Amino acid sequence: MGIEMLLLSALACTAVLSSLAVLLTRDNFYASMFMSLTLVMVAVIYALFDIQPVFVLIVFIFVGALGMVTVALAATYRFAPRRQVSWLWAVPVVITAFVLAVSVYAAQLAPIEKIQFALQGFITPEYLLLILFLISLTVLLLLSVLKLGLKEGEGGRS
Amino acid sequence: MQAIDISIIYVTSFAILLVGYLIAISCKDLIRLLISLELMFGAVFMSLIPLFSAISNAAFGIAIITIFTSSGELLVLIYAIVTLDRQKKSIYTSSVTIGGDK
Repeated sequence: MGIEMLLLSALACTAVLSSLAVLLTRDNFYASMFMSLTLVMVAVIYALFDIQPVFVLIVFIFVGALGMVTVALAATYRFAPRRQVSWLWAVPVVITAFVLAVSVYAAQLAPIEKIQFALQGFITPEYLLLILFLISLTVLLLLSVLKLGLKEGEGGRS
Repeated sequence: MQAIDISIIYVTSFAILLVGYLIAISCKDLIRLLISLELMFGAVFMSLIPLFSAISNAAFGIAIITIFTSSGELLVLIYAIVTLDRQKKSIYTSSVTIGGDK
């Protein structure tokens, strides 16, 4: 068992354990912190396979922006803790996990070639157009949400 | 990338996804629902890793689309939570009823 394999196993275990901590903790604030830890672990697994651009995207956009907004919201709405696990629903989840585990075990996954991703190969006019389109869409979404918020604020004052 | 690496990635991804589902179906407030959605998207990002060894450029394109789309969805949900709090003075899922009427 190589060092990479051990590292991957440790990161995967940490990610699963922190996601279980999200499930078991009663406080929303701690749940959001554990959620951020899980996402950072996912990003670190990307970095382990030498795919740094996705690591940057996940850490800066997903955890850095959205994750922090979620943490702020969770800290704002930090109610008296209540248990939020329905053990009745755990039964179908465990059955699904068992079916998935058997499927992965029976699939006999063949080893695939080493990941060799280079950002230079990605920069083509088509992909740049796609990124531009997505950024424009996000800005439009933000502007429409902002406009809705301003309208509500004006309605509340009048 | 060895076969056991792919197995670890898929098993971890499915485990996080199932924990996310369990949180989503048993949550009592919308903050927990938002957290569960982010966890599920994290699981989706993780399951994309093996795709990078076969079609790396297309996989990166898919990853970018997934990240932007999920960010948009979560932004809308965050706004919905704030709006619900303004209107109902509560963010419990029990305050959301079918058709908006009790």
